Amino acid sequence: MEAVIRTESISKHYGKLKAVDNVSINVQKGEIYGFLGLNGAGKTTTIRMLLGLIRATAGASYLNGKKVNPGNPLMWENVGYLVEVPYSYPDLTIKENLEIIRRLRFLSDEKSVDRIIEKMQLGQYTDVIAKNLSLGNAQRLGLAKALIHNPDILILDEPANGLDPAGIVEIRELLKDLAVNKGVTIFISSHILGEISKFATRIGIIHEGMLLKESSADELENIRKKCLLVKTNNISEAKEIIEKNGYSANLPENGILEVTGKDALSEPEKISLLLVQSGFAPSLLKVEEEDLETFFLRVINDQEV
Amino acid sequence: MIRRFKMEGFYTALNIEFLKARKSKMFWITIIFFVFISVMMGFLLLVAKHPEIAKNSEIISTKASFIGKTDWPSYFGLLIQFGMALAFVGAGIVTVWVFGREYSDRTIKDILAVPVSRFSIVTAKFLIAFVWSFLLLVIMFFVSVLSGFLVNLEGWSAKLFTHSFVLFTKTSLLTLILLTPVAFITCMSRGYLLPFGFIILTMIVTQFVIIGLKFISPYFPWAIPALITSVAGPSNPQANVLSWIILWATALLGFAGTAAWWRYADQH
Repeated sequence: MEAVIRTESISKHYGKLKAVDNVSINVQKGEIYGFLGLNGAGKTTTIRMLLGLIRATAGASYLNGKKVNPGNPLMWENVGYLVEVPYSYPDLTIKENLEIIRRLRFLSDEKSVDRIIEKMQLGQYTDVIAKNLSLGNAQRLGLAKALIHNPDILILDEPANGLDPAGIVEIRELLKDLAVNKGVTIFISSHILGEISKFATRIGIIHEGMLLKESSADELENIRKKCLLVKTNNISEAKEIIEKNGYSANLPENGILEVTGKDALSEPEKISLLLVQSGFAPSLLKVEEEDLETFFLRVINDQEV
Repeated sequence: MIRRFKMEGFYTALNIEFLKARKSKMFWITIIFFVFISVMMGFLLLVAKHPEIAKNSEIISTKASFIGKTDWPSYFGLLIQFGMALAFVGAGIVTVWVFGREYSDRTIKDILAVPVSRFSIVTAKFLIAFVWSFLLLVIMFFVSVLSGFLVNLEGWSAKLFTHSFVLFTKTSLLTLILLTPVAFITCMSRGYLLPFGFIILTMIVTQFVIIGLKFISPYFPWAIPALITSVAGPSNPQANVLSWIILWATALLGFAGTAAWWRYADQH
């Protein structure tokens, strides 16, 4: 099956600076692709190339099999997008700003503006001029502009910026619904793995312009480090006992033993029994998964090493 | 299908640019500014006719003395000269705003990846800037004529009025088409400062060419409209075929450069 969003060894160099270097991505229909990276990693530059806003130094991008070409306006018919902070015409109201986009998208149904205003919960601000909007509502307006024409492809750059926690959940659910029930292909960038991992079906990590890792949500779950945390009244003795029984144990400065290997994670009760029988009953026994942000930073650090 | 999109695209772009211009404060500010200038022309006429009104203000008296004879033929002559300068500065501001606002408001990215072609948007912007500027100049002309009536100038004739209005329109239109390079500089610099600098510098150089370097004037684009319409005076050389070529080449290069910039340059 042909990828809906595809980049082929795409690069963007500014002199010696490699803003994006040889990035190849394939996003299938109905997928939510989380594009993760720190600030300045190359996320927005990649998105700008996908939208034909800037020209690639090398490589090419394809949307629905068509090569991205700024000279072919027809290819944007079914693409909705939001790049960086959304700005609108400051002296025009929300309705007028959306009316402009409605016309630019050749939408004959005038009600489409009212519908998207309602969907994005901007009803009470319809006649407020854009320069008086809060950051959150400006973001909602930006999303409304991206969604007004019910696109097949959505390219969103940090869409959660400026939204409150309830707004973030609302947008997440909206995007999930679009992908699952309407088959919309979504490419979404963020620097917050915790947020992206809640709904992305696949995640790509970009760092210093290079795509470091690509994994599905399930794979991500598996490759994150996990360990069994153990605390007893004599942690050094407990460590020795655990190691003698074939487990690996690490004792960091916080005094909580990190046990891995063998069946420590699948059957932690065996370790509990072992410690109780040795007279060191555990006061803490907990399976802990590596924090997503720690995982993200570990991937980046591994690459740098 | 593509042709339908091209035509619809241009019509849509024109419609949107008209909406943006109409809803902007800038539209009304420029109208007020041009009406104010025309009313001030009338006031200076009044002072020129009755110097005792401003006998205590040397600044006003000096400005009024530029008007010279206070009759309709002299006044129309002044209006045409004034119109040419204002066509470049005033319409230059309009052009800079129409193109520059997309960069200063950071809305440019919203209009680049849409089904309407960038060429249609650029063309619509030029058309709106052109019509808006011409409207301002026509307003200025008619309000100034009204001011002339209020001051009760002598020597009016319908023939003189028609002749002056045709000349004013011709000079203005020829000057307006030379604003395309201003749009190009605005887009290239993504801001207001450089094009404003260009407008001021071009105006100074044009005056310098017309007054001091007359032999160059048929070949300096922004001096050519004054030669074609004989507004520059009898001491200046006539515009020749090459002048016309240079005039249109400058206008077309400005237009093509702007369109190419939108199409090929990186848009941040």
